[in-house]
Amino acid sequence: MRKNLFILMTCLVVASLLLSACRTAATTAPETEAPPPPPPPTDTAVPPTEAPTEPPAPTDTPVPVGPPDLSGETITLYHFGDLSGPYAAITAPLIHGAEDAVKAVNEAGGIYGAMLAIQFADDAGNIDEAVAAYDRFTSEDDNPLVMITYGSGEAEALAQRFAEDKIVNVTAGLSSKAFYGAGSGYTFGLGPIYPDQLGLVMQFLVDNWADYKPAEAGDEVKLAHISWPTAFGQGALTTESRAFLADLGVEIVAEETYDVSPTADTTTAILNAQAAGANVIWTNTLAFGPAAVLNGLHALGLRDQFVVAGANWTMDLATYAFLADPAYAVGLIAPTPYLWWTDADNPGVQYAEELFAANERGAGEHNVGYLLLVAGVDLSVKAITHAIDTVGYENLNGEAVQAALIEMSPFEALEGVFRVDYSGGSRSPHTSQIRMIQGGPDAFNILQDWADTPDLRPSE
Amino acid sequence: MGILRPAGEYDTSYAADMATIRQPWQWGLLAVFLLALYTLPLYASQSTVSLVNRIGITIIAVQGLNLLTGYTGQISLGQAAFMTTGGYISALLVNNQGWPFLAALPVAALGAGVIGLIFGLPSLRVKGFYLAMATLAAQFIIPWFTRNAFPEVLNGAQGLNVNAPTILGMEFNNPQRYLYLTLSILIITTIVAYNVSRSRLGRAFVAIRDHDLAAELLGVNPFKYKLMAFFLAAVFAGVAGTLSAHNIRHLNSETFNLIDSVMYLGMLVIGGLGSNLGPIFGAVVVEILIELATIFGPFFIELFPSTAAGAVQALRPLFFGTTLMLFLIFEPRGLAHRWQLLKAAWRLRPFSH
Repeated sequence: MRKNLFILMTCLVVASLLLSACRTAATTAPETEAPPPPPPPTDTAVPPTEAPTEPPAPTDTPVPVGPPDLSGETITLYHFGDLSGPYAAITAPLIHGAEDAVKAVNEAGGIYGAMLAIQFADDAGNIDEAVAAYDRFTSEDDNPLVMITYGSGEAEALAQRFAEDKIVNVTAGLSSKAFYGAGSGYTFGLGPIYPDQLGLVMQFLVDNWADYKPAEAGDEVKLAHISWPTAFGQGALTTESRAFLADLGVEIVAEETYDVSPTADTTTAILNAQAAGANVIWTNTLAFGPAAVLNGLHALGLRDQFVVAGANWTMDLATYAFLADPAYAVGLIAPTPYLWWTDADNPGVQYAEELFAANERGAGEHNVGYLLLVAGVDLSVKAITHAIDTVGYENLNGEAVQAALIEMSPFEALEGVFRVDYSGGSRSPHTSQIRMIQGGPDAFNILQDWADTPDLRPSE
Repeated sequence: MGILRPAGEYDTSYAADMATIRQPWQWGLLAVFLLALYTLPLYASQSTVSLVNRIGITIIAVQGLNLLTGYTGQISLGQAAFMTTGGYISALLVNNQGWPFLAALPVAALGAGVIGLIFGLPSLRVKGFYLAMATLAAQFIIPWFTRNAFPEVLNGAQGLNVNAPTILGMEFNNPQRYLYLTLSILIITTIVAYNVSRSRLGRAFVAIRDHDLAAELLGVNPFKYKLMAFFLAAVFAGVAGTLSAHNIRHLNSETFNLIDSVMYLGMLVIGGLGSNLGPIFGAVVVEILIELATIFGPFFIELFPSTAAGAVQALRPLFFGTTLMLFLIFEPRGLAHRWQLLKAAWRLRPFSH
């Protein structure tokens, strides 16, 4: 038996090495002839809101005339996120936002007549599953252009693959590592990275400490970082943000974690923060995350001793679902790198409202996820349209879409619902408002209008 | 379960008695099966190959757990934590120290084994539920360590990017190529697990599982063998963790979590505790169920948009939980036992009843 086994194993090893050697990488993009660049559209279904600042680089090939007619073609967007794990509360509205936006684009004629399709896969917040979803999508489509992801963990884990396979990843997971880690390059953020967000709010608090400091707090901002023990939860604390806070004179006196669970107990973390002399709490969480901190503070009777701030996702209606009392949310400060539903005079917000009403979405979905994904699809459509204008539909690929995102920068997606600038090697926006909850749900009032965030991206 | 054979069919040598594969046609069948697996990238989609990769890695982790729980009777809820250990060791050796993957793999496995040994120490004093709680500690301590210790090396909660393995200048950076690596290592671990189970070591494990006091009276040192079982289980977990980390190409404290440890136990129950086929059956069935839930979820939402959004969240645990519950009630010895019955019925036909 051993002899047979040995022979079998030898054959298998030799065969596997031969097969490995013979097989070309699945990710290799098909080589194409020099593309004839098509003309810029004159009458498109989804016209870009801003003309490109510079025309596409000239090539040796002739310039075609007139917009392409892509009737009968389909362009598929892919997105995957947590629909059955800890982040499910915020993922469902994101999905519906994307689907409704795609439907609206198609009803308006698609992209030069090409219909948009969108495919979703649930990864349960599990990186292994996210990789599986990625593999599934890339095996079903020889030329995927854009994938939308929602989690920091997914964005970090897949950043290298996106770059290798030249697929644009538009992500709501704003971990700096995903955008600027080694081998990144195709991951683009829908908002500033978390270190930038932390820096912006701390800068604001330091500048306006007299106006916002708790009654018994001293003159110095002392920060307690109370967050989830996950890639997302710890995403704001990087070498760069720590150095920035130190320069700002903000001391991080406590770093506490709590469970990623709607029933997590934060009281020990809060008491530790109090004992360390903290007067500001930052939490990089969402939905039940900030709710757990606010519930804990009220349960301990310590709410008036801390300024509570968090990443952009903390300021959302999803948070209210987990608060013991909606009034607990009052005073929460967060950067908001997008307009809010209450900015009803903005045409982009009006458009999102129309979609929301037309698709009869429930009140619980009237949150950041829905709005942002309507804008995210608009961003993707603009980038794809620009890429078609530049290289032609026959040569449309992820690389062209990536180039389009950079060439179009700076620009406003969905009529200014959010602002992006991917120029100068940046793959995340560096501008945001700061808001504070000053009343009931939706009373997310502006403390500071659009301002540049500190640039705390890591060196490449 | 012993091998049931018709009267008159018997072995005539020790070699034949010890043989795992007894008939030439069985060798042929095995060769065809392995050939089909190895040539999978030539005819299957990337997602199928990716799924087979995951199944292969999961089988290795469950094989380790089978040695510990199935053969030795020691419940462990820390298998995923030992995978984390293996993954981190390999990632650091390959990425930071420039070790070749094939050198880092055994070191990572041994490293995970040593950690497993430490968490196996309570097995001398506690059993059953209490031992499960003791091993659960690994699932909290190890991720905490990776998040908080040596942040300049382990990179805290952000974790590490892990290079794709390179062997003889060939980079295993896509599911198709990775399959050859996974399958080759899976064959090795399967042979090791099989041989452990029918060696002196395996018999000692079974003796301890069935009655540790009687085993001790017969000269089997329970402490020594329990620790060996913990060590082996963690070694297998280390191999699985290494393979998984280099496959995903990213690793942090969340990659292998408590849910995974529980799932591995569930897979073992579904597949069959204390059987070499158990981990294979269990991992294949559960991974396919999870895949089905993933595929079925969006369709479910499309069909019932107003009610399904919440229900879909429960689809995976529902599939897994229901299957586990049905097996516990109707076939607690798992699919491997059902397979043995089927084989026995075939051998004894037409007198299978």
